[in-house]
Amino acid sequence: MDADATRSQLAAALVRVAGGDRAALRVVYQDTSAKLFGVCLRILKDRGEAEDVLQEVFVTVWRRAASFDPGRASPITWMVAIARNRAIDRLRASAVSRRMEPIESADAVSDPAPAAVERVELAQQHQRLSRCLEELEARHASAIRAAFLDGTTYEELAARMSVPLGTMKSWIRRGLLKLRTCLEA
Amino acid sequence: MSTDDTTDPAAGGNLIAAEYVLGVLGAEERREVERRLAQEPALASEVAFWEERLGGIADAVAPVVPPPHTWSQIEAAIASDARPRTTASLWQSIAFWRGFGIGAATLAAASIAALAYIGLVPASRPALMATLAGSSGQPNFVAAVTATGNSLVVVPASLLTNDPRAMELWLILPGPNQRPHSLGLIQPGQPIRLTIPPELAGQLTPDAALAVSLEPPGGSPTGQPTGPVIASGKLTSL
Repeated sequence: MDADATRSQLAAALVRVAGGDRAALRVVYQDTSAKLFGVCLRILKDRGEAEDVLQEVFVTVWRRAASFDPGRASPITWMVAIARNRAIDRLRASAVSRRMEPIESADAVSDPAPAAVERVELAQQHQRLSRCLEELEARHASAIRAAFLDGTTYEELAARMSVPLGTMKSWIRRGLLKLRTCLEA
Repeated sequence: MSTDDTTDPAAGGNLIAAEYVLGVLGAEERREVERRLAQEPALASEVAFWEERLGGIADAVAPVVPPPHTWSQIEAAIASDARPRTTASLWQSIAFWRGFGIGAATLAAASIAALAYIGLVPASRPALMATLAGSSGQPNFVAAVTATGNSLVVVPASLLTNDPRAMELWLILPGPNQRPHSLGLIQPGQPIRLTIPPELAGQLTPDAALAVSLEPPGGSPTGQPTGPVIASGKLTSL
């Protein structure tokens, strides 16, 4: 099955969810829960917290499926955004002390062999993103990847990479500006 | 130093959507962005841009199968929700509509020329037109009030989606607490003429807004928009 078929199948399931179809939500869950759980776990570093957030994510998907616009976003991107926002909010709210992982860990997991489902979802846009990230200075790209994957604030990133806060902001903002130019090209 | 964007407030301001999506903002800054999102379509489309473009970074995350009890907890949590909620809040926010301007002048001008050619745009009285743009600013429909003032022609400007849902056109009158009025269903692939209900015909004035939402086949079951807004724009006098 090609990427378009996977995408439109998931989009169709979300449209049915918007109509109140619980069985369709189950289909969406089966297709996406492992990916979303991985995303939550990566940010929260705690299984219990990640399970709570995963539940919130699917309740949110159930309630907000009507606002999903297949003409505008891919279904998995829309759901990953919900999962990341929920997980980041939980991370900011919780007093759970986060393990300060060295920044290199972001690089270590940045290029795994994608699973079958992801491979088909890995559309042109994702390839373009990888290419654009490669064009950045290595430490800027590394900081951007780490921020996205771990949901860390500027302050935490600066501490982890042992640079002043202003330097970290500058790295990431410069990286983002370059990325935007590259992604829009 | 002009190359140091930390000293350039404009650069930081432009990047607030990217910083929000990236996840580097603190809790308070995140709430502030979310408050603005409801009011500022331009910011919302910036956020959508970055969510779509940066989403690929999540490919690096290995999937982890959640424990089996998670699904039953989700099932229990949604059991009390008879139906998913609609996006009413978006529609209640009149500021959302005020934020829309007219974009993509070239395409709109071409469409207006086409309408004038086929005699739909009146020459004797100020013509009312609207370009209905999507969240990324591209025009999806052009609408014109016909000479008699009691019907509206909607011309698709671009094919936007193969979404199976129906497209419904709504009129939102200027002023606080206005609820959208349905003007009927439209087609993405062909121009259509809709009759304006008599009670609304006199109220199509500049600053009234038109919007298109995605609805179940046959149109919104509630008489109010229930699906996402895919295009909108204000009426303007030519």
